[in-house]
Amino acid sequence: MNIYINGTGCISPQETAQIGPLFSTLKEYDQVRLQAVDPDYKQWIDLKQIRRMSRVVKMGVGAANLSMEEAGIKMPDAIITGTAYGCLDDTGVFLNKMVSQEEQMLTPTAFIQSTHNTVGGQIALLLGCNAYNNTFVHRGFSFENSLLDATMILREGEAKTVLAGGLDEITHYSYQVLSRFGLYKKAPVKTMELLKSPDRGTIAGEGAAFFVLSPEKGTHTVAELAGVCTIYKPLWEGEVIGEIVKFLEAQDLTLEDIDLLVTGRNGDIAQDEIYEEVAAALFPDHPEACFKHLCGEYPTAMAFGAWMANRIIAEQDVPEAAMFYGQAPARIKNVLIYNHHQGTHHALILLKAC
Amino acid sequence: MEKLMEDLKSQIIEQLNLQEVKPEDIGNDEPLFKTGLGLDSIDALELIVLLQQHYNIRIANPEQGPEIFHSIRTMAAFITAQQKQQA
Repeated sequence: MNIYINGTGCISPQETAQIGPLFSTLKEYDQVRLQAVDPDYKQWIDLKQIRRMSRVVKMGVGAANLSMEEAGIKMPDAIITGTAYGCLDDTGVFLNKMVSQEEQMLTPTAFIQSTHNTVGGQIALLLGCNAYNNTFVHRGFSFENSLLDATMILREGEAKTVLAGGLDEITHYSYQVLSRFGLYKKAPVKTMELLKSPDRGTIAGEGAAFFVLSPEKGTHTVAELAGVCTIYKPLWEGEVIGEIVKFLEAQDLTLEDIDLLVTGRNGDIAQDEIYEEVAAALFPDHPEACFKHLCGEYPTAMAFGAWMANRIIAEQDVPEAAMFYGQAPARIKNVLIYNHHQGTHHALILLKAC
Repeated sequence: MEKLMEDLKSQIIEQLNLQEVKPEDIGNDEPLFKTGLGLDSIDALELIVLLQQHYNIRIANPEQGPEIFHSIRTMAAFITAQQKQQA
């Protein structure tokens, strides 16, 4: 069974909620922490409800709405979200109130909004959708596992249309904590120079991307989700290389069939090493595009990468801002996305033009 | 009473994060729930906490809730009565 991407929606540090060619209004940053560009959320959310929503909830609801608008559906048969950090900001608010108010007189809103499945719940509440609703909180595999769940539900025939997506936010506190782990650059770096920076660390990012998946093609369908694969803590690069070959074989493809490689290079020399090795071993002459200099690093950044790959197939063109190596062919049919988060969570997604 | 009603409006706007609502937009006798401000059951819990935090008043009988939280004026009247009792 083929699973088609009938609609996509993305809210990110780029102007991805706007209609128009991909990255036509490129946002260039000279900082270590990228924040999502907020569209006018009031177009989707009533003012009385918006006041209780933190940024990540609004991002999720906005991206979900964009994808359903593109797919031309009003109600999915299932809602599946993937998030590593969940509603971090409201978790912080709630915990701070617990401390400052000595665990007395805690207000309900921050608690209600602090759970990981708040976004999936809010989307369902706004739609009045009582169907299957699940949230995957699996660090760097959260988004990939939401896609796997969606494909299984569709293949089992339990749903005809699934809304699946990945989202995470960066907050003041999480940025500070993750900075102490050495994840980020010590000094601001221009986003368009990030992938050539010669030192450790990357830039922090956030965003939400949703996909309407179905076994039936829609009006705006340009690609199918041909495969998803996760590789946890590979012992060495050879394991990843072997998994890529097996993954493509399972799709009846060879390395030569891949028209574009999209990688999750993030400008950290240690973390980008494996992309170099994989590209050198399997795709030495293939064109390569990247996305994390545009959205920043976060555990569900793969959702942005998949959204971008789908748009590249739609436009049959790779914007200059995303191109890392080579030149895209005139016909872009098979796009392989290879990403890893923190060197432990490696994932592959294959999109095929249809 | 007038000063208390103005304070309540500001406190409600802050506690409930009522974006784009100003104190002067809230009428003293306007219903807080359903029509008027359109508050809901979660807001009711927030208002109970507000009374405890700002005025050290606990509502002993939950059935009084709809009467107390009907409007800014009824809230202010309840607070005033409770403060007199405590004095």
